[in-house]
Amino acid sequence: MNMKKIEIIQKIIIYAVLIIVFAAVMFPLIYIILSSFKTNMEIMAEPDRIFPKVWTLNNYKEAWNSDVMDVGRMFFNSMWFTISSVIVTLIVSAVSGYVFARGEFKFKKVIFAMFSSLMFVSLGSITIYPQFEVLGLFGLNKSLVGLVVLTCFGIPIVNMYLVRSFVNSLPKELDEAAKIDGCTFTGIFFRIILPLLKPIMATIAVLTFNGSWNSYIMPAMFTLTNPKQQTLIVGIMALKNSGMGASQWNLMLAGTVIALVPVLVMFAVANKYFVSGLADGAVKG
Amino acid sequence: MKTINAELKRQDKRLSLWQKIKNSDQAQCYMLIALPLIGFFVFTIYPIIWSAIKAFYYYDLVPSNTRFVGLKNFVTLFTNGGDYWNAWLFTFKYMLIKLPIEIPLALILAVFLSKELKLSGFFRNMYYLPCVISLAIIGTIFANLFDPFGIVNAWLLKFNIISQPIDWFGNTDRALAVLLLGGVWSSFGINVVYFTAALSNVPKDLYEAADIDGAGVFTKFFRVTVPMIASVFQTILLLAINGTLRVGEYIIVMTNGAPAGTTLTAEAYVMQSFLPGFSTGTPNLGYGCALSIISSIICAGIGLIYMSVSKKMTEIY
Repeated sequence: MNMKKIEIIQKIIIYAVLIIVFAAVMFPLIYIILSSFKTNMEIMAEPDRIFPKVWTLNNYKEAWNSDVMDVGRMFFNSMWFTISSVIVTLIVSAVSGYVFARGEFKFKKVIFAMFSSLMFVSLGSITIYPQFEVLGLFGLNKSLVGLVVLTCFGIPIVNMYLVRSFVNSLPKELDEAAKIDGCTFTGIFFRIILPLLKPIMATIAVLTFNGSWNSYIMPAMFTLTNPKQQTLIVGIMALKNSGMGASQWNLMLAGTVIALVPVLVMFAVANKYFVSGLADGAVKG
Repeated sequence: MKTINAELKRQDKRLSLWQKIKNSDQAQCYMLIALPLIGFFVFTIYPIIWSAIKAFYYYDLVPSNTRFVGLKNFVTLFTNGGDYWNAWLFTFKYMLIKLPIEIPLALILAVFLSKELKLSGFFRNMYYLPCVISLAIIGTIFANLFDPFGIVNAWLLKFNIISQPIDWFGNTDRALAVLLLGGVWSSFGINVVYFTAALSNVPKDLYEAADIDGAGVFTKFFRVTVPMIASVFQTILLLAINGTLRVGEYIIVMTNGAPAGTTLTAEAYVMQSFLPGFSTGTPNLGYGCALSIISSIICAGIGLIYMSVSKKMTEIY
């Protein structure tokens, strides 16, 4: 009897802690989302109310087509930038992961070690200048397209590890059978391996989508002289830093919520890929 | 035999380049990783060499101003780089307060979640939610909450804790408090996920054995859980230290150094002083390269120290 009582008390304490933390995590998000439905007057005058007095969609209407912050255009920019980054990263990660798992070539170990060392060696953000210099030779340093090109030549080392260990877990007999049937090394990848990579590709796609959609510093630098190409995140920060943000909280909040929606939808739909990617990355990476 | 060989050789010569590639796995391998391989040399190695060389130059993007200055950038850094070293001090301060809050919090929550409650998965996912949100958005959210006319001040006023609105970003300690709050909020979830993954690998019968021996909750935690996840714990801590040392973007979007650059971390200082669009005026990039080199040496040094210390710890246990 006593044991049972202790167990129940234990459970109550545990649930209480979990729920308090849960509330603390959710509060800022809920508050911001609800505030985006308030009028600008109410945001400024009555910040202590959580629920809007008068629900309005005007902030969204205004923000979607405003001069200060053209959310519609920015959303489009964010979308094509994110989708092309995902496609590029998927191709590069899958192909390289396969090569490092199954390929046999002279400098395989050296190249893989060099790529891996990038996880630890980094000079930080200053290296953007030489990267701009190279991209500038092709006129690619002043647009989002340039950033996608830079992504093409990027080394998504964690993704490469994920694909590599996934391919390593596939039976080698598959390749050998295909090889006997006259399939080339590249052919084996497209015909045999790639179709089996689906789960790991989903993980990489979800994580890359999230990272690209959320990125701020890089798109900000690439669209510096070309504000028409600003992504949503860059646009929101530009408004915030311009000092006009404080008087335009309604636009900023509407933009913020619009920027949150794709991430939240992705999180709701593909949650297991987020978490499995993390766990795999932590254990194997 | 000879004729056959000669015939084969002649055939080999007649094969087109395409055919040769088709027959050689090695050539295909190189072709398939051509993009990252080129990228490695052009966009990784070249920039590192570029920075290492430019660290000995005065360079402000104007070719005619560029000149060799020897070790001057490094001398300036060590004699007159007070802002930069203060930024490092702030980085350590931020890390030494944030991690002791975040890591135990994440571990405790993970232990609770591993008790096989009905809603464990739901809570873990929700704790992880802030980790998928853009840092820029987090900056905007906290700017709104801690606005002089925001909800935090309004509530504090309402309950008479303060008599007039606080300017949260007008004082270094208060700005640090907001940074810590936002920092823990946005990243403890990832550590909860790591710890729950680690805990799920601890064999259940160990706890059963401890139960039979009459071990209490705390004994079980310190004698079974902690030793069993020690190695994963070390990795998680390494990732957390590395991540916190390199915090930059988060500071830029939260305070941008306010007040007066006192809340800049080392990386944020480099970003704010030298990146196009974030710096004001024409910075001496040579100096920026010198800073970046010293920064990466400091980070690598701390990583090495950590690894050797944790290795010693493992030997002791």
